[in-house]
Amino acid sequence: MVKAKETLIPRIVEPASNIPTSTAAASVVGLSKKFGKASVLENISFDVAEGEVLVLLGASGSGKTTILRIMAGLEMPYTGKVILHGKDVTELPARERGVGVIFQSYALFPKMTVEKNIGYGLRIRKRKRKEIRATVNELLQLVQLEEHRKKYPSQLSGGQQQRVAIARTLAYKPEVLLFDEPFGALDTQTRVHLRREIRALLKKVNVPSIFITHDQEEALELGDRVAVLNVGHIEQIGTPFEIYSRPATEYVATFLGAANVIDAVVRQDCYEVGSAQIPATVDKEKFKPGDCVKIVFRPEDVSLNRGELVRPGLSRLGKAIIEEVAFVGAYERVRLQMEVGGADECKTDETPYYLTTQPPERQSTKSIIATRPKPEASAIRLHVGERVVVALTSFTVLPSKGAN
Amino acid sequence: MRHVRGFDVVRPLSIGMLIFMMLPLVFLPLASIFIFGTSNGLDKFWAALMQPEAIFALKLSMATSFWATVFNVLFGLFAAYVLSRYNFLGRNALIVTISLPTAIPTAVAGFALLLLWGPYGTLGRLLAPHGFQIMFTAGAIILANIFVTFPLAFGVIKPVFDTMSRSLEEASATIGATRWQTFWHVTLPSLRGAIVSGALLTFARAVGEFGSTILVSGNLAGRTQTAPLYIFAKFNEGQIEAANAIAIVLALFSFLIFSVLFLARDWLDVD
Repeated sequence: MVKAKETLIPRIVEPASNIPTSTAAASVVGLSKKFGKASVLENISFDVAEGEVLVLLGASGSGKTTILRIMAGLEMPYTGKVILHGKDVTELPARERGVGVIFQSYALFPKMTVEKNIGYGLRIRKRKRKEIRATVNELLQLVQLEEHRKKYPSQLSGGQQQRVAIARTLAYKPEVLLFDEPFGALDTQTRVHLRREIRALLKKVNVPSIFITHDQEEALELGDRVAVLNVGHIEQIGTPFEIYSRPATEYVATFLGAANVIDAVVRQDCYEVGSAQIPATVDKEKFKPGDCVKIVFRPEDVSLNRGELVRPGLSRLGKAIIEEVAFVGAYERVRLQMEVGGADECKTDETPYYLTTQPPERQSTKSIIATRPKPEASAIRLHVGERVVVALTSFTVLPSKGAN
Repeated sequence: MRHVRGFDVVRPLSIGMLIFMMLPLVFLPLASIFIFGTSNGLDKFWAALMQPEAIFALKLSMATSFWATVFNVLFGLFAAYVLSRYNFLGRNALIVTISLPTAIPTAVAGFALLLLWGPYGTLGRLLAPHGFQIMFTAGAIILANIFVTFPLAFGVIKPVFDTMSRSLEEASATIGATRWQTFWHVTLPSLRGAIVSGALLTFARAVGEFGSTILVSGNLAGRTQTAPLYIFAKFNEGQIEAANAIAIVLALFSFLIFSVLFLARDWLDVD
C-alpha cells in the first residue's frame, strides 16, 4: 500500500496533457495487456463522462472483461493508465480505488442478509452504526427491496440479487460502476425488463457506468455511447445511432445486427456494383475513382419496388430476383439475388470476418437480405422468382480490406 | 428371483443381508461393551468410572485431543488457504505430504517421534542437556495426536476453499476491504461448516489414538495415561470392569460426535 503511494507521486506531477478531458469521470489511456506473449489489449483509450453509461461491446475474447478488471484494479495493465475523476489510480490496489463492480454472478456474500450485504462497504469503513442504518434504508428503498432486507441472497431471484449487488456498491459512493455482463445469467424476458429498470436507476443516481456485454441489442439500448471491441482494440466508439447507422468498419457493421456488404468500385459520380451503379451520394470525399470499396447497408434500409420508379431520396441499386420470402414475426425477410453481372475487379476472397453474430444474414456476394415491416409486407405481396428494383434508403461506404 | 406377484424380493433380501453382515462386524461388538459393562449393575459401572486414575485418563485424553485439534484446524485452514490460492512448484508434493500421516501406521508414527525427540533422538539429544524433555509428557501425546490427525481438518477445509468463488473475495476487495477483513467477513463464514466438521473429526480421531500414544507417553498411570491406554492397562491387569467403564464412555462419546455431524449436516453444509 505504501509502495503504491510512493510510485504514484511522479505520475501525478506528469503533465496532464495526455489526460484526455478534465470533465471525464473515468478514463483509460493507452491501455494494453499481454498474457504471456499473447496480446489481449492494444492501445485502448476512452472516457466516460459524469452520469454517462458506456457499453463495451464485443465477442468473447475481445478483451472487454480484461478492460473492466484493469479498471477495477483486479488486474494490472501492461502499459497505459486508469484515471478516475482526474486521479491516476493505475498503481492503486482494488480496495483503494472506490469503484463498484457488479459481477456477472453478483458475488453477494452468501452468509450475510440483504442489509448486511448492502452495509458491508460502510462497516469495513468503520462508519457509525446510525449512518450505516440510514444509508442502507435509503438504498433498500431505492432498489425496492425493503421487505427482503432480512433475507439471504439464496432466497432472492436473479433480478433482486442484482439490485442488492448494485445497492451494495452505491453504499460507498463509487467513482464509477462497472458491470460485468450483468444480464448474462438471466433469461431473455427478465433481461429486457431488468436492463430498462437498471438504466432508469442509473439515470437516477447519476453515477458514471461501464457495462460489458456481447449482446448488441443490450448495448444499443443501455448505452449513451457504445464502444465496439474486436480482438483487443476498439473498432468504433459512438452513440448507439452512430455505430448502428454509420459503422466505421465492416466488423462493426456486421457485429451490430444484420448487414449487407457488397463489393463495389468507385467511379466519378457513382459506386459501381458489377454493371449496376449507385449514385455517390455519401462518403464520396473519402475515396478516389478506381478504389475498391464495400457498400454496407442494413436489411431495413432496402426498399423493394415492382416498377422502375424509385421514390426520391432513395438510391437505386439495380434489379434483383427474389429467392426466398420468410415471415419472421415482427417483419418479413426477403432474400434476393442481384442481377448485376459484369466483371468483378474488386471481388475479395470470401474470408472476411468470422466473428459476426449472425453469419447467415451476412451477405458478401451479390445476394442481399431485405426486411419489410408487416404493413408493407401485407400491402404489397412479393413472390419467389419475381423481379424487383432494389433501392437503398441509406448506406455506408467502407474501404475494401487490403485497400487503403 | 425377479418380481413375485408385484413384490421385489431382492429389496428386503439385500437389506437383510447387509444388516446380517454388519451384525458380527460392528453391531455385536459395540453392543457387548454395553451389555458386559452394565451386567454387574450400574453402581459397579459408576464406581469403576469414578476411579481417580480413570477420571484422570479421560481428562488427559480430552485435553490433549483438544489442543491437537486446535492446532490442526488452524494449520489446516492456513495450509488450505495457501495451497488453493497459490500455484507453485512442489504444491502437489506438499498436498501429498500433508495427507501422508493417515497412511502411516500409528506405531511407526510414535516411533518416529521418539527417534526425533527422545533422549537419544536427533533433536532430543541436543535439547536434553538443557533440561528440555518433551517425550513421556502430555506434550508428547499432543505431538502424537497432531501427527496422526494432521490431514483430517485440512482434507475437509481444502475442497471448500477450492470451490469457493474467487469473485466473492474480489468483490470484497473492490468494496474496499483489506485481505484480513475479506478473510474474516467473507471467507471464514463460508468455511464455518467445514471447520466445525473438520474439528469434530480430528477430535474424535485423537481421543481414540492408541498406537503412537503408547510409545511416546510412557503410559504412566495418573500422569501420562490416556483413556485408550487405561483400557489396555486395566485389561492386562485383568480388571475387565474398569476397562469396560471407560470403553463405554469413549464409545458414547464417538456416537455423540457422529450424531452431531449427522444431525447438523444441513447447518454444516456450505453454500
